Amino acid sequence: MGYSMTLTENLFENLRLELRRGCLTLAVLAQLHQEYYGYTLRKALAERGLDIDESTLYPLLRRLEAQGLLESQWREEEKRNKRFYRLSADGQQIFEQLLKEWQEINASIHSML
Amino acid sequence: MELLDRYVEAIKKYLPWERQDDIVAELKANLESQLEDKEAELGRPLTKDEAGEWVKQLGPPIHMAARYQPQRSLIGPALFPFYRYVLQLACTWALVIWSIVTVVLVFVRPNPVALEPLTAVLQAPGVLFTTAAWVTLIFAIIEFASGRYPECFKNTPLASNDWSPESLPTAESSGKKRGSFANLVAEVIFGFIFLLWLLLVPAHPYLLLGPGAAYLKASPFEPAPGLVQFYWAAVAFNVIQLGWRAESLLRGRWRAEQPIQQVALKVLGLIPSLVLVAARDHVYIALKHPELDTVRYGGTLNSINQSLYKGVLLVCAFVVLQLAWEIGKRVLNAYRKRQAAR
Repeated sequence: MGYSMTLTENLFENLRLELRRGCLTLAVLAQLHQEYYGYTLRKALAERGLDIDESTLYPLLRRLEAQGLLESQWREEEKRNKRFYRLSADGQQIFEQLLKEWQEINASIHSML
Repeated sequence: MELLDRYVEAIKKYLPWERQDDIVAELKANLESQLEDKEAELGRPLTKDEAGEWVKQLGPPIHMAARYQPQRSLIGPALFPFYRYVLQLACTWALVIWSIVTVVLVFVRPNPVALEPLTAVLQAPGVLFTTAAWVTLIFAIIEFASGRYPECFKNTPLASNDWSPESLPTAESSGKKRGSFANLVAEVIFGFIFLLWLLLVPAHPYLLLGPGAAYLKASPFEPAPGLVQFYWAAVAFNVIQLGWRAESLLRGRWRAEQPIQQVALKVLGLIPSLVLVAARDHVYIALKHPELDTVRYGGTLNSINQSLYKGVLLVCAFVVLQLAWEIGKRVLNAYRKRQAAR
């Protein structure tokens, strides 16, 4: 019984992570219409109910920047150098497409429930 | 905070050297801001235990560093279905070929050791492992090359969705593989002609040997009882096969495939070969006048019989493996159908 519960929990956790992965990218792109550095972005997302681990968010910012969806610059703030991120022009275009896709999926699923 | 410094230094070790300073500086700035917030909230610095707990929940350094690396796999999801298919095929055929070679070697060696079959069985995992290692290596190279030079793989099945439905094999349930009336009639007619020919061979050996029959008549050799028994076993098998097919024809059973009948015929087909293997002293050819010719032809006769025995063993091994393959395939199909029906 305990064994099957663990399997079910693992299965749920894997599916949950899969579901969240794409949504997190969309949320980060949405939030970065405004400039943030890593930690403040994490706080801003958490305030809107989306908690993201440090080990997920910070590498994700790097990846999105490498893909040309974000722009970044090092700047000093409160006597500390920080890397600030913002949506790039390409990022804006991709964000709009992703948002449309997400809204369509959402509407379809809502219509099924 | 010393613990935080140690943590980011530990992460640095696992990062690619060209980006490690940049990543660590950014990560450290983020974590220091977070720490400042925590301390401001508490109104005091974190205790050693609290700091340890906080750093612990950030995750092991190697895991954190791994998130900064591009996702890598030895064989990626696009290539994996091909890899799995080829691996199954390669391992199966490696095992079949290795089994045949081993059986032949065991019997052909002049002085077979009693433990040799056991040793051979114990070597099987090694053969499978080596085959799997080679297939994996080749696919890992393809994966690496397709990532590095994607333009070279653009039009291959690995990267392209372009395929033709015409290339699909015939479905087993579509009826094309089922027997037809014409096929069964042809099998019965040719089976009857073959049986007639087989029955005439002893009285008219030229039907089998052609002009060679005259040489056989003049030679000092003749078929030994073992060969005669094989002949009658072959006749009996052909009679059964012909009768079975004629009965299917009369009862109109040519439309459906009859797996049990097919497997049973293959098992029966083994009997003549086994009669040869079991022949007394493995003698298939004997001398017409042993009291006169043994000195002159005895050596030649022995080597002919030995060669025939080895050949018969080889054929038997091959037929047994083929039968095992056929039965295995049918059992697997039956199992799949049962699973699908649930």
